Amino acid sequence: MITVDSFSYTYPGADDPTLQDINLRIEPGEAVLIRGASGSGKTTLLYCLNGLIPHVFAGSSCGSVRLNGFTPLEKPLREIARTVGTVFQNPESQIFMMRVEDDVAFGCENLCLPREEIISRRNEALHFMGLWDMRCKETFKLSGGYKQRLAVSSIYAMQPNVFLFDEPTTDLDGEGRKDFFKIIKGLKDKGKTVILVEHQYEDYLPLMDRVINMEDGKIAENTASAKTVLPTREAAVLSSSSVISMQQVCFGYDRKINVLDNIDIMIGKGEIVAFCGDNGSGKTTLLKIMSGLLQPNQGEITILNIHKPALEHLVGRVGFLFQNPDEQLFAATVEKEIAFGPGCLGKKTDVERYLEIAGLKAKRLNHPQTISRGQRQILAVISIMAMEPEIIILDEPTTGLDNKTWHKLIALLYDYTDRGGTVVFSTHNERAASLAGRKITMHKGRTINDEISG
Amino acid sequence: MKYLDKETFMHRLDPRTKILLGFMVAILIVVLKNPSELFLLFFSVLILFGILRPAKSTVKAMFIIMITALVFTMISQGFFYSLEPRTIIVTILSPDSGFLGNITGGISLYREGIIYGALQSLRLFSAMLLSAVIVMSTYPSELLLGMESMGMPKRIGFVITVSIRFIPSLLDEARRILLAQRLRGLKVKGIIGWFRAFYRLLPPLIIDSLRNARRIALAAEVRAFTGERTKLKELTFSPRDWTFLGLSTAGMFMLILCQEILP
Repeated sequence: MITVDSFSYTYPGADDPTLQDINLRIEPGEAVLIRGASGSGKTTLLYCLNGLIPHVFAGSSCGSVRLNGFTPLEKPLREIARTVGTVFQNPESQIFMMRVEDDVAFGCENLCLPREEIISRRNEALHFMGLWDMRCKETFKLSGGYKQRLAVSSIYAMQPNVFLFDEPTTDLDGEGRKDFFKIIKGLKDKGKTVILVEHQYEDYLPLMDRVINMEDGKIAENTASAKTVLPTREAAVLSSSSVISMQQVCFGYDRKINVLDNIDIMIGKGEIVAFCGDNGSGKTTLLKIMSGLLQPNQGEITILNIHKPALEHLVGRVGFLFQNPDEQLFAATVEKEIAFGPGCLGKKTDVERYLEIAGLKAKRLNHPQTISRGQRQILAVISIMAMEPEIIILDEPTTGLDNKTWHKLIALLYDYTDRGGTVVFSTHNERAASLAGRKITMHKGRTINDEISG
Repeated sequence: MKYLDKETFMHRLDPRTKILLGFMVAILIVVLKNPSELFLLFFSVLILFGILRPAKSTVKAMFIIMITALVFTMISQGFFYSLEPRTIIVTILSPDSGFLGNITGGISLYREGIIYGALQSLRLFSAMLLSAVIVMSTYPSELLLGMESMGMPKRIGFVITVSIRFIPSLLDEARRILLAQRLRGLKVKGIIGWFRAFYRLLPPLIIDSLRNARRIALAAEVRAFTGERTKLKELTFSPRDWTFLGLSTAGMFMLILCQEILP
């Protein structure tokens, strides 16, 4: 059983407490969902339960946390890990070994268990998580969903009673999320306590015994969550001129496999188009073809009136944003970041205006990598906009964003299309897609649905 | 050069046996001087390489590298060999042919130089092939396990394991950053351009690696990592290893003896 009594916590060097007066009781076998905006203290609360606070993050606290009758301070992390297991957001950084079965055994080896015990626990975990058939595979060859499954397996093999999940499915697609649902159900059926922090929690609600809302470091007392005001877009006047047109486009990295299979798409000026579908459905490949990063093997493609364009023809006219904003910020300050693209193209730009609409005026001299994750995403988009491209293409811009930041981002994109731009993006998130004017669903390299949404 | 997922004789040897073999070959490379013994050494390593039944493309690449290296060392050594006695094969520029001949001291191709170049190449190739054999027949983590059980500190072993594990993702990331720069209109021209692109590549790459390092550290903490741990895999020296080591040691002494006794 977990009890938290009037607990407050302040990170070292911070002025204000991140957690304030938390009271919580979680019974064994309970499944609890914690929700709240970014910065509301969800992750910090998990760190208090798994002992990372106070063992890794010092800081100051008052009140008490008790896990199965002991406080995290009384025992070293290694002992706490026998009771509480944690799975984080990014599966990539939770895998240590090169072979699947070695990674599942990693935690047990650290617990210094006898060898036979490790082998039996490892094999049980591999079976339970459905990884037995790929136990000899190399870990970096697994898909995102399987990597996350592997991360859960190595925690599972340590046999804790309590599982903490910190946004475990943010990086996964719909398929991966369905899989994860089964994993959590399996853990619950085994009588484990599950505490889940997740932005897109709707799918998990049927499994949860209780939902806890967090707001500004406090547990909000069952207030009906404040209605979010969705950004709206005035009915866009769509001109008939098409900016992207594709006919019978096929593409394969390998001659045998068709990643894209006979794609016919017309996108008009001023549209916002969302591409939905699971990993491997061909979304990202399609976006790369639209931006000139890849050339189709077959079919006709015209972008901005250029027939079969190469990357050189489109640089500056089509902006492309990769999934991780951090890989796309390389200037020394926020304002230099905005000026970078236009500078390379020899264009003049109004940095002030872009700082203004990004809401980053106060941070103009900060290093781009020191502002918050949401701000980095906005900055990456604004830096593309500053190049004044005619089309902006974004690959999975919703990953890791809370709703607030996503709404801000989509509002910026609405504004951009009102000024004559066209936007194309891919997403796993159906709700995010509903804010686009048009939603195209892809499956196995084909478009299976094309509808007006919103 | 990558690990080959096969079950050959070389794969079944204990990693420590292969590390020891590496030491033996290193000694022989330094000690052996005669062409025939060096050739024998090279030939034995070549057999070990053959046991792996490597892919044709690997063999081809190896062959091209070796032939190129062989020709270059033979020619360069042939021209610049300075030890006496040396036999001239061709003289390109005689020492008394005016100014150029005077300052260069003449340019000639020497027979001893060519032989010396060939021998140096044989040494290089023996070392190269043997490293290939070790890398291709030993899973990286097992090689590390071998080194650890031969006295390398465990923490260093862990750091190396984790670093190897993250090399593919780091390369991917660098590729994406460079692409993102190009998409923002950066044109990379000439060597200076490459330097500047590289300079811009570093901050996001390093900062992201640091963020990642932090995440990895937390993930290691919740997996109870302290450095002290049970090793699931334990290396065992089998009779096969003892036999192989015995034969190799005998072979090593034979080669050295041959060189010392035979004229």
